[in-house]
Amino acid sequence: MSVAPTPTRLHVADISKTFPGTKALSGASLSVSAGEVHALVGGNGSGKSTLIKILAGVYAADPGGTISVGERSVAAHEVTPQWSADAHLAFVHQDLGLFDQLSVAENLFVGLPYPRRLGVINWRRLNAEATGILERLGVAVSPDAPVGGLRAADRTLVAIGRALRDREDVHDGVLVLDEPTARLPAKEVDRLLETLTRLAAEGQSIVYVSHRLDEILTVSQHTTVLRDGNVVARRATDELDIGELSQLIAGDTVQSAAAPTDTLFGPPTLEARDVWAGPLRGVDVTVAAGEVLGVAGLVGAGASSLLRAIYGAQPRRGTVRLRGQELRAGNVAAAVRAGAALVPDDRLRHGAFATLSVRENVSASYLARFRTRWAMVDRRAEQAASARAVDTFGVRCPSPRVPLASLSGGNQQKVVMARWLTGEPQLLLLDEPTQGVDVGARAEIHRQIRAAARRGCAVLVASSDADELLDLSDRMIVLRGGRVATSAHRHEVDRHWIAQQVFGHDYLEEPPT
Amino acid sequence: MSVDETTARAADKTHPTSALPSRVRPSASQVMQRYGLVVFLFALSAFFSVWPETSGTFLTSANVRTMLANQTVVTIAAMGAVIPFVAGQFDLTIGAVGVLATFVVGALTTKAELAAGPACLVAVLAGALIGAGGGAVVAYLRASSIVITLGAATLIGGLILLYSKSSSIVGLPPSIIDFGSSNWLGIPRPLWLGAVVVAIVGFFLRATVTGRRLLMIGENPDAAALVGIRTQRLVLVAFIVAGALYAVAGCVSISLTGSASPSDGFGTTFQVLTAVFLGATTINPGRFNVLGTVVGVLFVAVSVNGLSLAGASDWVQPVFTGAAVILAVSVSTALARKRAS
Repeated sequence: MSVAPTPTRLHVADISKTFPGTKALSGASLSVSAGEVHALVGGNGSGKSTLIKILAGVYAADPGGTISVGERSVAAHEVTPQWSADAHLAFVHQDLGLFDQLSVAENLFVGLPYPRRLGVINWRRLNAEATGILERLGVAVSPDAPVGGLRAADRTLVAIGRALRDREDVHDGVLVLDEPTARLPAKEVDRLLETLTRLAAEGQSIVYVSHRLDEILTVSQHTTVLRDGNVVARRATDELDIGELSQLIAGDTVQSAAAPTDTLFGPPTLEARDVWAGPLRGVDVTVAAGEVLGVAGLVGAGASSLLRAIYGAQPRRGTVRLRGQELRAGNVAAAVRAGAALVPDDRLRHGAFATLSVRENVSASYLARFRTRWAMVDRRAEQAASARAVDTFGVRCPSPRVPLASLSGGNQQKVVMARWLTGEPQLLLLDEPTQGVDVGARAEIHRQIRAAARRGCAVLVASSDADELLDLSDRMIVLRGGRVATSAHRHEVDRHWIAQQVFGHDYLEEPPT
Repeated sequence: MSVDETTARAADKTHPTSALPSRVRPSASQVMQRYGLVVFLFALSAFFSVWPETSGTFLTSANVRTMLANQTVVTIAAMGAVIPFVAGQFDLTIGAVGVLATFVVGALTTKAELAAGPACLVAVLAGALIGAGGGAVVAYLRASSIVITLGAATLIGGLILLYSKSSSIVGLPPSIIDFGSSNWLGIPRPLWLGAVVVAIVGFFLRATVTGRRLLMIGENPDAAALVGIRTQRLVLVAFIVAGALYAVAGCVSISLTGSASPSDGFGTTFQVLTAVFLGATTINPGRFNVLGTVVGVLFVAVSVNGLSLAGASDWVQPVFTGAAVILAVSVSTALARKRAS
């Protein structure tokens, strides 16, 4: 905990930002003390990303507000990337921007003049300096290891090290972390949070953006909540609990999807036998119509491979039947025609058509249904369907005609999700369906998944989030060592069971730390 | 929720199937981006019509007719090229396939004494076949389209030299030249053909399911594959159609010039690329599009024609065209990036 009168390190006052058709921020303010971890939370499209981009000088704010860092102060619409860098505002984005092929040291010093001797890069000095940074951050890797081979938390820490590289000792700036844990498994999250707490104790101010509310409660001292571009609350974090925080973010009480009921399921929709793909070595899966089957497993255990192999997007051996019809390996088009739908985990990279309109993105997977005479796209029907989807999923956009890229990240996710759910598929394959999505949208997506199951759709959900699996699944399988290690009904399991099964016996034998 | 957003939603609810839902009003700069090149084209034409150096010749019906007829070759070839470009692939075989087509027609009509129609049909099939070869390598082996089509164009140029022994084919039957030199309803016949090709390709890319799918492949091939588009097959189809259209352009070219002369066709290729890239800066800025490409062809044609009528030196035309490509590519890249951000 910091000592009594702490100076304000970052002060943002009265920031507004208008985009054509929407007001992303109206009079937002944010105040961060020295050595404080300050959580910035809000739903998709609440204005968090816009605020961060204004701080970074990427977007110009509407005239009127001010931004001060320490002694420096500037009108908010005049912030440039250079001003932001000079004020020592450092940013680590969800996409870390690391070069996987390059070494840790090269990544840490990228963009700076490397130390040289006789005109040649002085690797020894470069590695020595990198080792210093790594030690301070508690990353136990060699500076010449390629970044591509690092564990997820270490990669994030390397990105943080790069952002702070030339001022580890003078903490006069602010470190802004945007969703740093969205792709980390639980164990790695704890390590990252410990390091952040230590940095803060040394005097580093941190703005922490996350959808994971438990992390916010653990790591931050104050919380600012944005909703629809307005700051709706600024509170000491220890006065908050998860329920209150979700309510502040969503604006009304978030109801979790109706708990799974013991329904009698229909005939098997999906029968996969002896599937070999990626790390999988002979997996059998059966999902009945109307049933939600959860797939748990560590990163790399093959949950993604299982979904992709069934869908035909990844080579496989073994037979897959959808409502009795055999799906050939590697034929996505046939799987889609048979009624399969895959929502990939990295939805923006593998799902978004950035410059196409929202309408074109929604209709993408079922374009054949809008085929009229002369092989034309029936634009009227397409328009109506996309307007419906936008409405059902609460996508915030001025019109379905704007390019997808003009929407906020969370809203782009909703569009990609809407694309698959509006087609009323027979088999829904969901890979991390709520990764990087806020609480309100998460509940909505869960509701939509349940609704699809009630309609008779068979659902296969892979998730690294135990709560999500417990929320959605009727039955669960756990992948370990390339096989189905165990399976159980929803009412037989809890979080503890999932953790045990996912990590397997090695985990159980490890002494508690 | 902002006021605009609320009204937009309300409007969508009241007219859920309206063909023209509320949309964001384009700003003045967006309008300028959209129609900038069109305005510039008209300004240039107006300039050449009143400039004393060219006012006597530029706007005569004979000049306009010849200029447009000559541009039909580039236009039809550009209609072919825009298809793989939309799907995110480069194609540099444009001119080479066109020249090959002139030799196929020339050889078949003079040596095999085939009629003009069947000879052109064979040439178009040959173009499609070359497109299929290159397209298959690009689509199924995932080779770089720039490298493969550059290699193919050079190879075809070499084979043409081998066959022709560096000499031209002349003395073609009059039926071929008739097509190029006659009018229909007062308009040169090649121009009618060009208009039909523009209409078909424009309809194909803008309105059909397949056209939309090509656009999706060009935008994000991974996502396109995951929504069930057979991306490889469609890329192959794009190259086949493109190859066939380059050959059609070659057939029009031989009917205008009355001869087939050996060349690797890179001159034509670069003219077409200029038009295609200029096209991506207008009408639908940041995206390759058919109408924009036509504007691009006309823009280059009018400027080159006007300059040569004014008696400008030889260096003026390549300098102008080169500058236009650089400007077009940098502007269209910047616009595409702006769209994606």
